[in-house]
Amino acid sequence: MNHLSSETFKENARAALADVQLRGALKNATSLFGDRRKAAAASLPNWEDLRSQARAIKDDVLLHLDRYLEEFVRNAESRGATVHWARDAAEANSIICGLATERAARIVVKSKSMTTEETHLNDALEAAGMQVVETDLGEYIIQLAHEPPSHIIAPAIHKTRQQIGALFTAELGMRPTDNVDQMTSTARMKLRDRFAAADVGISGVNFAIAETGTIVIVENEGNIRLTTSLPRLHIAVMGIEKVIPRFNDLDVFLKLLPRSGTGQRLTTYQSFITGTKRASTDEGPDELHIVLLDNGRSRMLAHPVTRQSLACIRCGACLNACPVYQQVGGHAYGSVYPGPIGAVITPQLMGIQKAAQLPYASSLCGACREVCPVKIDIPRLLLHLRGEISPRKGSATERLAFKMWARVMTSPSLYRLSSVAGRILQRVMPISRAWTNGRDLRPIESKSFHDLYE
Amino acid sequence: MSNSARESILDSIRTHLAASPPADDPPVTPANPVIPSKSDPVNRFKESVESVSGKCIITTDAADVLKQILTDLNAQRIAYSDNAPNAHDIFSYDVGISTAQAAIAETGTLVLDSDCERHRLVSLVPPVHIAIVNASSIVETLSDALTRLQKKEISPAITFITGPSRTADIELTLAIGVHGPQELYVIVDGSK
Amino acid sequence: MWTSIGVSSVAVLRRVGCDVEFDKRQTCCAQPAFNTGYLDEARLVARRFIDIFEESKADAIVSPSGSCTAMVHHYPQLFAGDSKWLPRAQAIAAKTHELSAFLVRVLKKEDVGASWNGRLTWHDACHGLRDLNIKSEPRALIRNVRGAEFVELEHADSCCGFGGTFSVKYPEISVAILDQKIEAIERAGVQAVVSGDASCLMQIGGRLSRKGSTVRVMHLAELLNESSQQ
Repeated sequence: MNHLSSETFKENARAALADVQLRGALKNATSLFGDRRKAAAASLPNWEDLRSQARAIKDDVLLHLDRYLEEFVRNAESRGATVHWARDAAEANSIICGLATERAARIVVKSKSMTTEETHLNDALEAAGMQVVETDLGEYIIQLAHEPPSHIIAPAIHKTRQQIGALFTAELGMRPTDNVDQMTSTARMKLRDRFAAADVGISGVNFAIAETGTIVIVENEGNIRLTTSLPRLHIAVMGIEKVIPRFNDLDVFLKLLPRSGTGQRLTTYQSFITGTKRASTDEGPDELHIVLLDNGRSRMLAHPVTRQSLACIRCGACLNACPVYQQVGGHAYGSVYPGPIGAVITPQLMGIQKAAQLPYASSLCGACREVCPVKIDIPRLLLHLRGEISPRKGSATERLAFKMWARVMTSPSLYRLSSVAGRILQRVMPISRAWTNGRDLRPIESKSFHDLYE
Repeated sequence: MSNSARESILDSIRTHLAASPPADDPPVTPANPVIPSKSDPVNRFKESVESVSGKCIITTDAADVLKQILTDLNAQRIAYSDNAPNAHDIFSYDVGISTAQAAIAETGTLVLDSDCERHRLVSLVPPVHIAIVNASSIVETLSDALTRLQKKEISPAITFITGPSRTADIELTLAIGVHGPQELYVIVDGSK
Repeated sequence: MWTSIGVSSVAVLRRVGCDVEFDKRQTCCAQPAFNTGYLDEARLVARRFIDIFEESKADAIVSPSGSCTAMVHHYPQLFAGDSKWLPRAQAIAAKTHELSAFLVRVLKKEDVGASWNGRLTWHDACHGLRDLNIKSEPRALIRNVRGAEFVELEHADSCCGFGGTFSVKYPEISVAILDQKIEAIERAGVQAVVSGDASCLMQIGGRLSRKGSTVRVMHLAELLNESSQQ
């Protein structure tokens, strides 16, 4: 798979900016998503209250995460689920591959799960000899194209219908067309027999209810329901932060998530799965295994500013609102999680050294904070991460420049001299060139306001 | 071994929480305002179903309406939830018929409960799903439905259905009928 | 760096009856260091700001910059846990106002007697809009400028792409974001773009002049200082 790296964000972004088709697709998609979200939020007079409530619930969960996780596990297990704990991606993949191979599984159907993309589960399953089929239409498209997702909600948002049509013709033998209904029917047909033949179904989890041991998964297409009801074994993979306390809390989150993500009041299907079936003759899988993944999440609990990262419900609203994402798209971030939330959790999950550019790739405009259903203060998080990175990892020139800047700004005589120096330096500093490639530079005036004030 | 991973993760959670400085903003718990209900829930339900491309008929003779729909569809192979075909055969059926244990007026949502009915495949696999719900089972809000579900132990599988299946993954263009049904009919039985 | 903003701000405040002083010892609010992650350096400069402005017996500290004002409002965060500086930071933050917010919310003045002939539009600078909730105030002030025809800019609340060091760390992305703003300005068919933050004006003005546009950029203070004599 053609994975770009977070470490080369700047180059990735440059390439993305040169891709006219991508930019057109991004512009359409983000503005449409943004408009729909705005209308959906406006239709609920208590929208702001809901956001506050959701954030309060998440804050409570995160402050007592161990207790709520234990409660969830106890209740899920009492209903027949088997729960596994995975400290990191490798452990999660190992558990899941083990479950599949123990049951001599050959075909695995998957519904969209960012967590399994995070662990690169598909590569591990394929290495273990299994055929893995992504069933969410957007994920199916990028799987055929051997590309990573570019958006949390609509993974193939970067592709035009013409590109998808051509892909389906080449890979699936579809008669050439750019009609969306026909492409959808093609995918439906091709995937039906995979569902029927699958030994294992792997899904993500949107919410895990501590009170009842229920996992809740939301969708529009129906592939999650097929994935979680046809195969004999259902494996549900979730980050440890997905737990919420009570069944009734779903009222708040099911109002916020679909509206924030796609502007819908509700997505077509919500599946509430609690343990395994009662009788062997009932419908549904024989086994339910739930994999809880840490992979760096518990570390984020150590500070209130970083802890809020874990409140994210993966709606994608921040991506659509972000002026940077709108221009460069998801692939440039080189991470499973792009956009504003990606810029803050990727360095925390993968390690700052692997994603040091991302926290700086923001103008701090705050549009993300405005649309986040759980009120994550992403700009504050970005500043927090910059505060961790700059003093240690900033270039020597930059660190020195700011030390000198502080010296000048705390000395009136140096400050007066600085406007003279500035006028000279303005012409030669590389910073000036970065500016003047696209913009004229307003020269520093020869008389400052300090000089003129009376 | 899973147990050591469990202990390790729980320990990591506790240690990192203990190391955390206090949050500077006190948690906010705003009151939950009760939004007054509007018109008759049955009619609201019908409007909501239609707004998501479902079809809804209110009737006191559900059996007759059902027969009419099946005739209009020229349905050949019909799967009923009380006599549901198995997981392999269901793929060759044209229509799946189930009841719904409740419905939500504000969103046009059907609530199906696996403890009451074998709904999972019948309402999902055939290209047409017909659901019959009692008018008296229609509740106003999502919250009402969630409360209702907790009156007994939660069933192994509960499904909320709002309209036929759809996607907007290709250029955000809406396509109805992806993996789930392409058509949804809801018959509201007003006789009970 | 942009003297007429300072000159105009003082003039407008005096015209509406304020007693204005400018302490020449002031330098910077520390935003560049704070936003780039150099918190120690930011604190050095912020302490100086607090020291200087504490000495003044003024009722209010007014700034013609939404981002600088927002920065001062962040001083309590910068000095969190510092029992000596935190209360001082809070006190200074509490009396620091952005110009349009000060005129409209504190002085209750929406008409400062300005006049300017032409068609203009307003760009909502991000910090002013989202950190300080400044949205209706500048519009109210502009609507009272005699002779000015105000048109609402499409996506007025979208970022111009400046973002401080972002504009030079990621110049291509900065300009790509900027071009959306420029296109909206061109579609609006105005003679001037007005905003409350000099950095946005430099960003927007720099691109407009590079493209040979006749649209000028004006700070709100400059607009409010315009009169029919000029």
